[in-house]
Amino acid sequence: MNLSRREFITYSSIALSSLAFDPYSFAKRPVSLERLMEFKPYGNLTLVFTSDIHGHLKSMYFAEPMNLLAPESLRGTPGYLAGMDFLRYYNIKPGSVEAYMGSCVSFIKLAKMYGMTGGAPQLATVIKTIVNERGKDKCLVLDGGDTWATSGIALKTEGLALVDWLNYVGYEYMVAHWDVTIGKEKFLDIVKNKLKAKFISYNITEEPFGDLVFPPYDVVEKNGVKIGIIGSSFPFTPLANPRKFTEGWSFGVRPEELQRYVKELKDQHKVDLVILLSHDGLPLDIALMKIVKGIDIVISGHTHDITPVPVKVGDTLIISPGSHGKFVGRMDLDVRNGKIQGYRFKLIPVLSDVVPEDKGAKEIVKKWYEPYEKEFNTVIGTARTMLYKRDTVYSTWDRLIGEALADYYHGVDAVMSLDVGTSPGYRWGTTVLPGQKITIEHVYDVLGLTYPEVFIMKRKGRDLLILWEDVADNVFNPNPLYQQGGDMSRIYGVEYTLKINAKQGERIRDVKIKGKPLELDKEYLVAVYGGPPPIGVEPEKKNIRDIVIEYIRKKKDVVVETKPNVKVLDHPYNTNCYWR
Amino acid sequence: MDRRKFLTLSAVAVMGLTLAPAFKPAFGATKLEEEIQKRLGVQLSQVKEVAEIKLTAPTIAESGANVPITVESTIPIEQVERLYIFVDKNPIPWVADVSLTPMNGQVFFSTRIKMGETSNVRAILKLKDGSYVMATKEVKVTAGGCG
Repeated sequence: MNLSRREFITYSSIALSSLAFDPYSFAKRPVSLERLMEFKPYGNLTLVFTSDIHGHLKSMYFAEPMNLLAPESLRGTPGYLAGMDFLRYYNIKPGSVEAYMGSCVSFIKLAKMYGMTGGAPQLATVIKTIVNERGKDKCLVLDGGDTWATSGIALKTEGLALVDWLNYVGYEYMVAHWDVTIGKEKFLDIVKNKLKAKFISYNITEEPFGDLVFPPYDVVEKNGVKIGIIGSSFPFTPLANPRKFTEGWSFGVRPEELQRYVKELKDQHKVDLVILLSHDGLPLDIALMKIVKGIDIVISGHTHDITPVPVKVGDTLIISPGSHGKFVGRMDLDVRNGKIQGYRFKLIPVLSDVVPEDKGAKEIVKKWYEPYEKEFNTVIGTARTMLYKRDTVYSTWDRLIGEALADYYHGVDAVMSLDVGTSPGYRWGTTVLPGQKITIEHVYDVLGLTYPEVFIMKRKGRDLLILWEDVADNVFNPNPLYQQGGDMSRIYGVEYTLKINAKQGERIRDVKIKGKPLELDKEYLVAVYGGPPPIGVEPEKKNIRDIVIEYIRKKKDVVVETKPNVKVLDHPYNTNCYWR
Repeated sequence: MDRRKFLTLSAVAVMGLTLAPAFKPAFGATKLEEEIQKRLGVQLSQVKEVAEIKLTAPTIAESGANVPITVESTIPIEQVERLYIFVDKNPIPWVADVSLTPMNGQVFFSTRIKMGETSNVRAILKLKDGSYVMATKEVKVTAGGCG
């Protein structure tokens, strides 16, 4: 890591020398496009990549988490660096563009200064500028999946708005996760007939005989360099999302098969470079690269991690370009004699006000948005508390959703009120700043599921506990190969104590439901959404988006509790990072 | 469906353990040990873990009702008599035993097994010299989570 880290430090110290201590002094001298894009071209090949755009064609705010709780053995390693820990690890100055993009520190202040991030027209400008500067024959443009689902426009256009943009920009390879949730048939139609990029995945096979559904890899030559690129879609898609979207397909982490493909690429195809385009998540890829040898570069999506410098595992470089269009990754490589001789790497921050919009991409966005602008822009309230989604155990968006569920079911204090409201800990969503108007599109950004049904049912205390322990193990298992890469379910109406390093079945303690200790045999009234549909329970008439929209409309001024309902025993837990 | 039943089943099983930790040894390890003693005639502690057996199984099962596993070994088939498969925490830990002959060519066996909850899976080979060797892998059975 040393070399590249030094490069990064040099780069950031130059950029920040003008900053001094007052972040506001920066506002008067806004960052230039040249400074964001600054990159000394190097070598004979350039990788340009994004991941986890999550259906966002327009600019937005997206706050990185205040906490990334880790089991002891993984604490302080990439994948578990939040806030000041992130800044210290990468030597980034608080108040800088990099600090704003990559951490929670002073997010509210910095968001007002630097503005929104991402946006399809801005991303297009960055990518096209790099490709034009380097020449198309030297560039490989990649996307790591979670691209055409989970937003308003993705949902309304069944992914097609995003596909149109991907084709326009000229992406060449892709993998998937939430993208399959538009429905298997539609997904296959896009991949086979509409998407110009090649869809590759070594870990999607037909049940029960194990035939590959998609090409596991492809070989492409750029500027005389022969590149083998292997795709890995999210290994736990059939578990994390309803099974119907992947019926008949098997996924998984398959180190032996992966190793075989690496060997095939090297022995049969004589490639100079092996890339893994992955939606495994950073911690899992780090663990996997300790098992699988011979992969030169992993572009790692899913966990939305930001790696200002590559993570090195043996000879493998792992890079993760964040999420929601905040960064475009650029890696220039000198590949000769079948080896990487050297590289330069940068995550280019996409500040929406600084990066000019690409005309063609803007047209695409306009075209697809037109029928829905009115609905999306409808104001339903004002945020008085910052609404954010990311954190390992608690978020204001999820708290608000829990309140909305309780309100929908007879109200919070009614006699027959809801006991528990569960909100899934997926890592996508949006951020609404204090004072900002909340629109219907914001609700789509956080709840843009193709399965928004709400289920209300009775569950015994013991069953709830088992379920939560189960989810906790998917988040806190010390072996990343056994983690699913999501955050902990948010449990409204419940308070509990968490011991991350306890074994499964003992992590969640002192559970109180509506202030009273959980009783194992008592039946509780539980509302859920966003998971596999419970069997034999009819969905509510209103879906989760309508319930939340209605609740925000009713409240108008949205104030949300910022104190988490979880007490963490064996890990520091930050609760004021955004407000600093 | 199957999966739901399975979760319920595993839920019951897990609760049994968490609620009554005092009984855990009795229902956990001992049951497997009993079963191994019964079927193999040796104690689990006498079965050595070796690198020559490769047990392939998912880290996290897509469905506990249907977990694909593959056992392979570089030990010459002439030296091998029998293959046993056990799942530590299944209500009945014994899953299968397969007799092998040189006609099999090599040790290779692939099947699908049922698992009630997260557990070790064991592939044990009985060798012609009467000794036992094994490979172990943990497979997690989960209600799912959120991506």
